[in-house]
Amino acid sequence: MRRFPARVVLLGAVVAVVSAHVGSPNVLFDGMAGPYAIRVIIRPPRVVPGIAEITVRVQDDDVSSVSVQPNRWDAGDAGAPPANGATPVPGDDRLYVAELWFMTSGSYSVHVTVDGAKGSGTAIVPIVSLATTTLPMTRWYGLMLLAMGTFLFVGLVTIVGAAVRESVIEPNEQPGPHRRVRAAVVMGISAILLGLLLFGGKIWWDAIDGAHRRNIFRPFSTTTTASIDNGVRTLRMEIDDERWLGRRWTPLVPDHGKLMHMFLINAATLDAFAHIHPVPLDSNIFEVPLPPLPAGDYRVYADVLFESGFTQTLVDTASLPAVGSSHRAVDADPDDSWHVGPIRSTARSTGNAVPLQNGMIMTREESDERIAVDHETDLRFVVRGARGEPVALEPYMGMMSHAVVTKEDGSVFVHLHPAGTISRGAQQTFELRQPGDTALGRLGRRMTDSLSLGIMIMADGREPGIVSFPYQFPKRGRYRMWVQVKVDGTVETAAFDIDVVDGEDTSPR
Amino acid sequence: MTKLFAAPAAPAPATVAASAEERAVDVPWYIIAVLVASTSVFVGVQWDISWHRSIGRDTFWTPAHLAIYLGGLVAGLSCGWLVLKTTFAGSAVDRAHSVRFWRYFYGPLGAWVCIWGAFAMITSAPFDNWWHNAYGLDVEILSPPHVVLALGIDGIQLGALLMVLALQNRTTALTDWQPDQQRDRSIYRLLYAYAAGIWLIMVATMLTEYSFPNAWHQGRFVKIAAGTFPFFLVAFGRAGKLKWPATSAAAIYMGVMLLFIWIIQLFPATPSLAPIYNPITKMVPPHFPLVLVAPCIVIDLIMRWWGNRGDWLLTPLLAAAFVGTFSVVHWYFGEFLLSPAARNWFFGTDQWDYTARLGPWRYEFWRSHDTITFKALLIAALLAMLGTRLGLWWGNWMSRTKR
Repeated sequence: MRRFPARVVLLGAVVAVVSAHVGSPNVLFDGMAGPYAIRVIIRPPRVVPGIAEITVRVQDDDVSSVSVQPNRWDAGDAGAPPANGATPVPGDDRLYVAELWFMTSGSYSVHVTVDGAKGSGTAIVPIVSLATTTLPMTRWYGLMLLAMGTFLFVGLVTIVGAAVRESVIEPNEQPGPHRRVRAAVVMGISAILLGLLLFGGKIWWDAIDGAHRRNIFRPFSTTTTASIDNGVRTLRMEIDDERWLGRRWTPLVPDHGKLMHMFLINAATLDAFAHIHPVPLDSNIFEVPLPPLPAGDYRVYADVLFESGFTQTLVDTASLPAVGSSHRAVDADPDDSWHVGPIRSTARSTGNAVPLQNGMIMTREESDERIAVDHETDLRFVVRGARGEPVALEPYMGMMSHAVVTKEDGSVFVHLHPAGTISRGAQQTFELRQPGDTALGRLGRRMTDSLSLGIMIMADGREPGIVSFPYQFPKRGRYRMWVQVKVDGTVETAAFDIDVVDGEDTSPR
Repeated sequence: MTKLFAAPAAPAPATVAASAEERAVDVPWYIIAVLVASTSVFVGVQWDISWHRSIGRDTFWTPAHLAIYLGGLVAGLSCGWLVLKTTFAGSAVDRAHSVRFWRYFYGPLGAWVCIWGAFAMITSAPFDNWWHNAYGLDVEILSPPHVVLALGIDGIQLGALLMVLALQNRTTALTDWQPDQQRDRSIYRLLYAYAAGIWLIMVATMLTEYSFPNAWHQGRFVKIAAGTFPFFLVAFGRAGKLKWPATSAAAIYMGVMLLFIWIIQLFPATPSLAPIYNPITKMVPPHFPLVLVAPCIVIDLIMRWWGNRGDWLLTPLLAAAFVGTFSVVHWYFGEFLLSPAARNWFFGTDQWDYTARLGPWRYEFWRSHDTITFKALLIAALLAMLGTRLGLWWGNWMSRTKR
C-alpha cells in the first residue's frame, strides 16, 4: 500500500541508488586478515567499468606490505588478476591506499592480504559493483569543450574553402572570382552538412546517456501489504520485479541465519522500529506476523542476500492497521525484536543515555569532535547494569550487536554490525564457494545446513558491555540510530539521535 | 622554359630556381615528420587496442598512449612551424605552394589539415576523460570522444597524404624530365602509397568490431565494407600516379598490419583486471587484415582500361567489381582462417581477449541468420556506388591539388 505524504514520496525519489543499504555506498569492514586486525574502507566505482578507491588501516606496527585483489564471484581465484600493492600514505605508517578497476557489474570480493612479522593473512571484503550515478558536466567544462568544438568547426569550414579556392590552381596563380564564389558556396554547404553531423552525434550521445540511465541499478520492486488474519496482523511482501520473476538471478541464501531481515520504521515520527524475519510463502511472497507496533505508515526495508554474494535492500512502504487486541501470533520468530519509544517532537533528541530493562542503561560514548560527512567514525556504546557495572552481552543472530542508522528523511538506511557495513553472509559465500557451486543452490544448501552463522567477535580484548560500529555518514543532517544487544536471552533496543555536519565544520561542541 | 611557368609575371625565375631546389632535396623534412607522426599514431592505436584486450588496465602514460600523443604533437608542431615560417619568413616560392588561411596565414593545405587533426586529438582528451567518469572506462572502440579522436587522426593522415600529393602533382606537371627527377617521382609515389596505406589501416581499425574473420559470411560485413572502402580505394586509385595505385595502398595496409601482428605476439602479457576467463600469456594481436588487395587489383585494372570515358558509367562498374571480388574472396579466405591450418603465429588467429569465455563459437561464423543474400549484395552494391562516385570526385580533386 502506498498512501504516503507527498513530501516523503518526493524525497524517496532522490535517494541515491545502491544495492545494499540505501544512500550509503561506501563499504566499511573491521576484521582480521589472518593475525592482523585491519579496517578496510572501499569507495566503490560509481560507473562500471570504474575505479574503486581502497584504504586499509592496520592496527599492528610490524606490517611490511598490503595488497588488494578483485575477485568476481563466478570467476573465483583462477579468474583473478595478480594482486595490486597498496602504497603507504606518507605521514601515517599504518594507512595504505590502493585502486582497483571493476570491469563488470555484479558481486565481487576484494581480497586484502597483509604481510609482516606475524606472517601473511587475507581478509575477504564483499562488494557489489554497480552503475549508480549519472554525472552532469560542469558549466565551465562544457564551455571549454564548446569553445574547442567551435574552433574545430570554423577551422574545418575554412580548410574546405581554402581547398576549393586555391589548392588546384597553379602555384603563383591567384584564384579568380568564379573560384571564390564556388569556395563560398561549398563552405556554406559543408557548414550545413557539418551541423547535421553534429546533430547526429548529439542523438548518439543522448542514446548512450539514456541507456546508461536505464542501466542504473534499482532494487527489485515489491508490493508490501499489511492485513489482519484471524486477529493476527500479518505483513506480506511480494517481489514482483520481472528480473526476479525471470529467474535469472542466483537464489536467496541466509545471512546470519535468516533469508530476509526486514526493518519497519514509523515514517512520521521515527519512534516505532521493528527488526523482523519474514519467511517465504512461495518463491515470490514473504510473510511475517507483525509485532505490536502502533498503526500508521511505515518505511519498509528488507535486506536479502543472493548466492552470488550480491546484497540488496528492498525498499517499500506499508500502512499498518490498528489492531483490536495486542495479542500476537505464537509462531513468530523468537529473533524478531521491536522498539517503541515515546512520541517525540522533532526538536527534542533522545540524549546519550537510554534506559533498558531491569535498570540497565545504554550510553553512547561521544568524542569531543562533531561527526562530519565522509569522516571515519566509531559509534561506541556501553551497556551498564543498575550499579554501573558493565554487562556481559550474548550473541544475537551471531553478532554481538546490530544497529540501524537512518536519516530523518529516509534517504539513508544502513544495517550495521561491529564488523561494519558488509554482509557476513556475503563474505561467507566467497569463503565457502567451491568450483562445483556453479550449480545453483549448492552453496546455499551448504550454508543453510551448516547453520554456520560465522560469529564475528573482535578478539582485541575489548571490555564486556561495549560495542562499536565503524561508519562514514554520507550526508549532513539528523539521523536516528537503533542499537540492539542481547542480555540474559532478551533483545534490548535503544534509540539515539545523531547530528552530522559538513566536512569542514569539525569544531568541538 | 615550359609555358607552365611563363604565364605568371615576376616570380618565374624564382619558380625555376625553386624547382631546382626541390630536385636537390629528396623529400622535405615536414613530409618525413608527418609520415613518422602518422605511423606513430597508428602503432599507438593498434597497440592500445591490443593492450586493452590483453592486459586491460592502463594509465595516461602507457607506451601505446604515448605513441599516439607523440604522433599528434609531431604532426601539429611540425606543421605549425611550417605555416608560421611560411607566413612570416617564407619566400615567394613557399607562398606560391601554399593556400591562404584566415587572410594572413600561408601554408600547404595538408599542413592546415594536420594542424586541425592535432587540435581535434587534443580536444578529444578532456572529452574522453569526462566520458569515462560518466559512462565507464574504455570498453569499446566507437564512442563519441573516440570518434573525435579518430577524426583528428584522420586529419593527420589526410594532411600527410595531401602534402605528398602536392609534391607528386607539382613534379609530374613538369614535362622537362631529368633522370634524378625520375627518382624523385618514384619516391613521392611510394610515399603516396605509404600515406594512403596507413590511412587505410585507421579506416579498417574503426571497423574492427564488425570485421573479425568470423563475420566474413555476414551480409552486414559486406554492406559495411561496401559503404566504407570503395570511397577511399577509388580515390586513391584515381589520385595516385603509380602503375597500381589502389593496390599499392592496399598492399601497404596488409603488409604493415601483418608486421604488426607478427611483432606484437612476441611480447608477453598478463591480464591485470578481473574477471579473467581466458588467461592469455602474450599480447593479443589484431585479426588478420582484410584482403583489400584483391578488389584493388580489379579496380586498378578497370580504371586503367576505362581511361577517360566518363566517371558516371565507371561508377557502377567499379562498385560491382568491388562487391563481387570482396565478398567472394572473403567468403573462402574466411573459411580458411577459421580452420585449424590458420591457427598459428603467422595468421595470428584464435587469440581472444582475456574476458572471452572460450567456446566453439571461436571457429564458427557468427550471426548465422545474416547470410550474404542477393538482397544484401544489392544493398552493398548501392552503397559501393555511392562511395565510388564520391571517391572519384574526391580522387579527381586530389590528382589536381598542387598546394
